[in-house]
Amino acid sequence: MTPKKVQRKEKEEPRIGVYVCHCGLNIGGVVDCARVAEFAAGLPGVILSKDNLYTCSEPGQELIKADIKEHRLNRVVVASCTPRLHEPTFRAACEDAGLNPYLFEMANIREHCSWVHLHDKEAATEKAKDLVRMAVARSKLLAAQEPLEVPVTRKALVIGGGVAGIQAALDLADSGYKVYLIEKDPSIGGRMAQIDKTFPTMDCSICILAPKMSEAGRHPNIELLTLSEIEGVEGYVGNFTVQVRKKARFVTDSCTACGDCVKVCPQVAPDEFNAGLSMRRAIYMSFAQAVPSTYQIDMDLCLNKHGIIACDKCFQACQRQCVDYSQQDQILTLDVGTIIVATGVDVYDPTPLTEFGYRKFPNVITSLEFERLINAGGPSGGNLIRPSDQKIPKTVAFLQCIGSRSKRSNIYCSNICCMNTIKDALLIKEHWPETKILVFYIDIRAFGKGFEDLFQRARREGVSFIRGVPGEIIEDPETNSLTLIGEDTLLSQLYRYEVDMAILSVGIEPRKDSPVIQRLLNLSCAADGFFLEAHPKLRPVDTPTGGIFLAGCAEGPKDIKDSVTQASAAASRANILMAQGKVIVEAITAVVDETLCQGCGMCVKVCPYSTIREDPETKIAQVTQASCAGCGTCVAECPFSAITQRHFTDAQIFAQIDAITEEAPETKAVAFCCNWCSYAGADFAGVSRMQYPTPIRIIRTMCSGRISTEFIEYAFRRGAAAVLVSGCHIGDCHYINANHQTEKRVNRVWKKMERLGLDKNRLQLAWISAAEGNLFARKMKEIDEIIQGVTPEEIEKTKQILVPKKKGKGEGTEPKE
Amino acid sequence: MLKSIWELFNKEDLFECYQCARCTGSCPAAMVMKCYGPRETLLRCLNLGQEAVINDERVWYCTTCHVCEDRCPQEINISELLTAIFNLAAQRGNLPEKIKFGVDLIAKTGRSLIVNEKVLKDRQKLSLPPLDPLNIDEIEGILKKTGLNDAIELS
Repeated sequence: MTPKKVQRKEKEEPRIGVYVCHCGLNIGGVVDCARVAEFAAGLPGVILSKDNLYTCSEPGQELIKADIKEHRLNRVVVASCTPRLHEPTFRAACEDAGLNPYLFEMANIREHCSWVHLHDKEAATEKAKDLVRMAVARSKLLAAQEPLEVPVTRKALVIGGGVAGIQAALDLADSGYKVYLIEKDPSIGGRMAQIDKTFPTMDCSICILAPKMSEAGRHPNIELLTLSEIEGVEGYVGNFTVQVRKKARFVTDSCTACGDCVKVCPQVAPDEFNAGLSMRRAIYMSFAQAVPSTYQIDMDLCLNKHGIIACDKCFQACQRQCVDYSQQDQILTLDVGTIIVATGVDVYDPTPLTEFGYRKFPNVITSLEFERLINAGGPSGGNLIRPSDQKIPKTVAFLQCIGSRSKRSNIYCSNICCMNTIKDALLIKEHWPETKILVFYIDIRAFGKGFEDLFQRARREGVSFIRGVPGEIIEDPETNSLTLIGEDTLLSQLYRYEVDMAILSVGIEPRKDSPVIQRLLNLSCAADGFFLEAHPKLRPVDTPTGGIFLAGCAEGPKDIKDSVTQASAAASRANILMAQGKVIVEAITAVVDETLCQGCGMCVKVCPYSTIREDPETKIAQVTQASCAGCGTCVAECPFSAITQRHFTDAQIFAQIDAITEEAPETKAVAFCCNWCSYAGADFAGVSRMQYPTPIRIIRTMCSGRISTEFIEYAFRRGAAAVLVSGCHIGDCHYINANHQTEKRVNRVWKKMERLGLDKNRLQLAWISAAEGNLFARKMKEIDEIIQGVTPEEIEKTKQILVPKKKGKGEGTEPKE
Repeated sequence: MLKSIWELFNKEDLFECYQCARCTGSCPAAMVMKCYGPRETLLRCLNLGQEAVINDERVWYCTTCHVCEDRCPQEINISELLTAIFNLAAQRGNLPEKIKFGVDLIAKTGRSLIVNEKVLKDRQKLSLPPLDPLNIDEIEGILKKTGLNDAIELS
């Protein structure tokens, strides 16, 4: 998998063709393109140089193709628009003519020149010349690259057997892929199995879920692994190896779920499925519709937990002899190509909100407990009863936003509680129409399809909505009835309501064990603890790690419909990867020179994708090519120059700095911009025709994390008046968090400059997003002012004293190899 | 001199209030004086500006018991807001008569309640020790230093 260094060895003299594009009047109206072409013709290595009206047009491309063949060009430079627009076009043209697309280079003389210097034609032309000079210098050092093709294993892993996980697994299985569906509980079904009815259609939740559960259970392409947890994940997109612990069930698959064992079991514990409202035995099945329909023993509760058979009543009771106390956990190794994370949510525990008396007053319950009470399969057989006296309440209150929208719990809106309460209120009305129902709310958020209708229906059926959540609940110790004290904000009037029962409409929050999944899969989390998607709008089910997708509430609170929608989306995304059977990794990955690597491990620490490993014996760093995203932050970190980023080598970047500083460096600033944000921000300034001063020369890297301190110091040593390092805002980095390293490195240079008595203001760090063209333009003006203020003495002094720490690095204006 | 209550209280904190009314629902003063409530006070500050509350005698029903901010889901320091309002109001002489009377009493006697024959008798009945004489000068000094003295004179 190691890309060859070979290509550089068979060094042929560069034969460069330069094409300066007028882009109609877009460039030609400002920049004297003929002069730029003439200048380029004089640069060493340039065989031919032409200017034409539209290089991207069909004839323009044909011209390049013909020239490549006729003049045996081995490098092509086009000076036109931003590479973010037409690099793929010209690369394809080169490839058509038999030239490796990585031997093509672009100079951006439109967005970064003609459009932003409309009124200074002379300076714009001079800048265009510089930009072409940079591109030509870089092109000489380009090497042919082959993008890596990684095969994708056509199997998927779905973590979490709730409705999202089930849907994703079914979609993938129906598409013909083998799917492992992993669930840590004894049965699949998740939260939806616990809910009585769904909003806004009032469907019976388990009635619509159970067919899907059994379909997943018997699907020939789905291997269901319940009582199973992920213990280790290795590999990369298309090729994951996952370690799974399949916990002992102590009941074999031959179980027919007759239930004879349960009758004899002496041990009891609160039933998790019924939210602790009833008891279960040590041998149990979580609920009637469980899939697999098999009993299991809770060994922590069973009398045989110490390995000595102290009780064998269930064994004796089982006619089919399915009980096996000696079963052991199994460790399975699964090879999969894609992973879907559908780990779901926990419900908020309102115990800390002492003013509501949850756990202190028996008749204060949560909405999940309510679901079990109202459910016909629940502990009360569907009768809504007061836990204190088992009587049916006459007055019921719902309290909204408990554990949501609050700095005391979770700051986000939990998305489902408003509609869930409305649905619950209607359920009560359906069974006991005389019940008085009060809903205390802050805002009712009925935003989805059919939601507002349901809200109105609840109001028509007599549910009272009172704006203002009670300050506290007090209990009458005799009757266990509750008094709610608060303010009706719409009437500006205090209230005291006597109710028989209060239901806290609790929010939902990330699973307590989701940090484990996060660590194992190298996912990112938002501040609220939910997993972060690769892009909130355009890649909403992808994660930043290739081949891993999100479904359901693991990504954020959502209702069943949204969970299912997202699950199908995630399955479809995974399907694309597996249908193609391969992924193409662009040839911009990091490559380690094993002869130079000292095994210091710095690269391992900074890699945002944990894709670099130290060889356990030699300590030499190894980059997994398929999962390297090509940010280059390891390259900038390596103290021994042992890592190279393909297509963005040190030598290429030094050559660009050289080209900028060849003439009158004291009037120029070297800018390093990341491809995704700040370079795009500069493009946006161009598209918006924001005018700014001409001294800036931009070097594009994929990530600002690629910028080593050496590049900055080298630019200063070459006499540049100012240096700008620019990237995505912290938190917005396209390589997870690589720009944290950028910040550290710039700080390091600042400190060094300060120590040496240099003006550290000459080095600027700016976070500029792709939308902040105005910020980019403003920064350019600032930098122009800085350049005006720099004295020749300061520049000279910098050249003398800003020397590299280690010899051999930074002088490397020649390609290393 | 204070020019604005926002010198003492960060106005931005108020934007986090979504009027859930758990403060007023918890307020012992609101329970007694129906015309007062922290939620409404906060909303008036936000929508009508500080003048609307500085000149409003109702705010003085607040006893700064802090229950509202204990229960505020957004952790807004409501008591601090009220304290800021009190300070500015007092500086402007917007002190209600009853409060002024109380402060005067402290300044003159060192106690917030009138100690009369009945009080002393009650104490005897409850076999509480006789009241120690107080150092009025010291209290005066404190009042002067904290600036409250000026506020009272203003009114």
